[in-house]
Amino acid sequence: MASNPALFQSPTLTEALDLLAAIPGARPLSGGASLVAMMNAGLVEPAALVSLTRIPELRGIRVTADGGVIIGAATRHNEIAADPRLCGTAAVLPHAAAQIAGMAVRNMGTIGGAIAHADPGLDFPPALAAAGAVVELASAAARRRVPIREFFVDWYATVLTPGEIVIAVHLPKPKPGVGLYLKHARVSGDFAIVSVAVSLARDGEAHVAVGGCGPVPLASAEADGIVSSDLSASALAHAGDLLTALANPVDDVRATADYRRLLIPRMLARALNDCMAASRSVA
Amino acid sequence: MSEIAPIVLNVNGAARHTTALGGDTLLTVIRDQLLLTGAKRGCNQGVCGACTVLVDGRPVRACLSLAGDCQDRRIETIEGLGDRPVMRALQQAFVAAAAFQCGFCTPGMLVAAFALLADSRLPSEADVRRALSGNLCRCTGYKKIVEAVLRAAHALADEAVA
Ligand SMILES: Cc1cc2nc3c(=O)[nH]c(=O)nc-3n(C[C@H](O)[C@H](O)[C@H](O)COP(=O)(O)OP(=O)(O)OC[C@H]3O[C@@H](n4cnc5c(N)ncnc54)[C@H](O)[C@@H]3O)c2cc1C
Ligand code: FES
Ligand code: FES
Repeated sequence: MASNPALFQSPTLTEALDLLAAIPGARPLSGGASLVAMMNAGLVEPAALVSLTRIPELRGIRVTADGGVIIGAATRHNEIAADPRLCGTAAVLPHAAAQIAGMAVRNMGTIGGAIAHADPGLDFPPALAAAGAVVELASAAARRRVPIREFFVDWYATVLTPGEIVIAVHLPKPKPGVGLYLKHARVSGDFAIVSVAVSLARDGEAHVAVGGCGPVPLASAEADGIVSSDLSASALAHAGDLLTALANPVDDVRATADYRRLLIPRMLARALNDCMAASRSVA
Repeated sequence: MSEIAPIVLNVNGAARHTTALGGDTLLTVIRDQLLLTGAKRGCNQGVCGACTVLVDGRPVRACLSLAGDCQDRRIETIEGLGDRPVMRALQQAFVAAAAFQCGFCTPGMLVAAFALLADSRLPSEADVRRALSGNLCRCTGYKKIVEAVLRAAHALADEAVA
C-alpha cells in the first residue's frame, strides 16, 4: 500500500522553505533513496513531500574566491565521486562517495539527504568530519551554519529543526596532501561495519573520524592533535584508544559491538599508514 | 493527503498519460498502468536492482523514484532498449554464456550493463563487477553474467574495428 503524501516540486528555495513551514508534517525529498524506502516499508507516512532536486542553487559544486569548496545539498553521490576539484586533503569525500552503495543508488542519493538522514552506517558523516566541513542550513525564517562535528546529535537525529533543511556543505580550501576513506563492510556497497576517514596535509595537519560505531561519527580535537604531530605506531595506538573510548556501537546483523571496538584502532592505523604511503608516492 | 493526479511520463520516447498518488513509485506506474513488466519488484527497498531503469540515461532504482517526481525526465525501460546495438550485443552474449536461470534479475542486470557499456566500451572484469554490484542474482552465482557482459563488450569492440 503506497502512502499518500501530496508531492510538491519547488522550482525555488524560497517556495520550498515556505511550503515546509506552512504544511505540518511535510518533509523534504531529495534522492528518495532512504525516504521512499522507508515509505515503501510503512515506516513513515509524511503528510507532504517537497522535492528539492530541481532547485538550481542546491545543485552542484562551486569553488569560492578563497579556494573553499561549496557542495550544494542536492548534489548526487556520483557527481561528488567524480569531481577533480575535491583533491588533496578534500579527496576523502570523493573516495567515500565512490564506496556508497552501487551505481544506481549513487545516481540518486544526495549529500544533503544523506547527512539529514543521519544513519550511523552512512559514509558521508565521518568523511565530512575529517574534511572539516561546515553545514549550511535554511528555514523560512533564518539561515545558519553548524560545524559538522556538532551537526549530529543522536541516533538518526541532527540539529535540524522542523521546516529547516540542509542547503550546502562548505569545505575549507583543500590543502596539498591526501584524503582517504577506509570502509569495512560485508560486501561492496553495503553499509559500513566500521569506517575511518582521514585528511592528512603535507604540512602534517591531520583530521580523523570513525563511522559505524555510535550515533554520531567519532572525532576529537585531541585525537587530531596527536596524529598531527606524531604518526609513530605508539601515537596511532594512543589516538585509536581515544576514539574507541568515544564509541557506543550496537550489536546488529552486520557485526557485534565488541568487534567494532576491536576494529577502530586497527583500521585507524591502517588508514594513516596508507595515507603516508600515498603521500610518499606523490612526493 | 493527495488526490490521484494525472501525470505525463516520457517513457521509451513517447509521452504516456498516467495517474498517480503522491507516494506511487515509478515502478508501480510503469508496471501496473503502462504494463511494462520488464522491470521487476524484488525488494521494493533499493537493494536488489531488479527494478533498474534509466532516467536521463543513468541507471536508477524505479522502486525508490516517485512517479510524480519523474515527469520532466527521460525514462527508458528494458522494453525500450532492445533495438540498440549495445543491448543486442548483451542479449546475444547472455544467451551464449547462459547467464540466467530463473531470469528475474535479468532485466535489471541488462539495464545496468547497458549503462556500463554505453559509457566505457572495454571495461575490465573488475569494472563489470563494480557496475553490477548493486544487482542481486539468487541463481547464477554471477560468474556467467560477468562473462556475458565482457563477451558483449568484446563483440562491440570487434564490430567497431571491422
Ligand atoms: C540499497 C541502498 C544501499 C545504500 N548503501 C549506502 C552506503 O553504503 N553508504 C551510504 O552512505 N549510504 C548508503 N545508502 C543511503 C544513500 O546514501 C541515501 O541516498 C542517503 O542516505 C539519503 O539521501 P537521499 O538524497 O536519497 O535522501 P532522501 O531519501 O530523499 O531523504 C532522506 C531523509 O533526509 C531528509 N532530507 C532530504 N534532503 C534533505 C535536506 N536537503 N535537508 C534536510 N533534510 C533532508 C528527508 O526528509 C528524509 O528524512 C544506501 C541506500 C540504499 C537504498
Ligand atoms: S525492487 Fe527496486 S531495488 Fe529491489
Ligand atoms: S537468474 Fe534467477 S535471480 Fe538471477
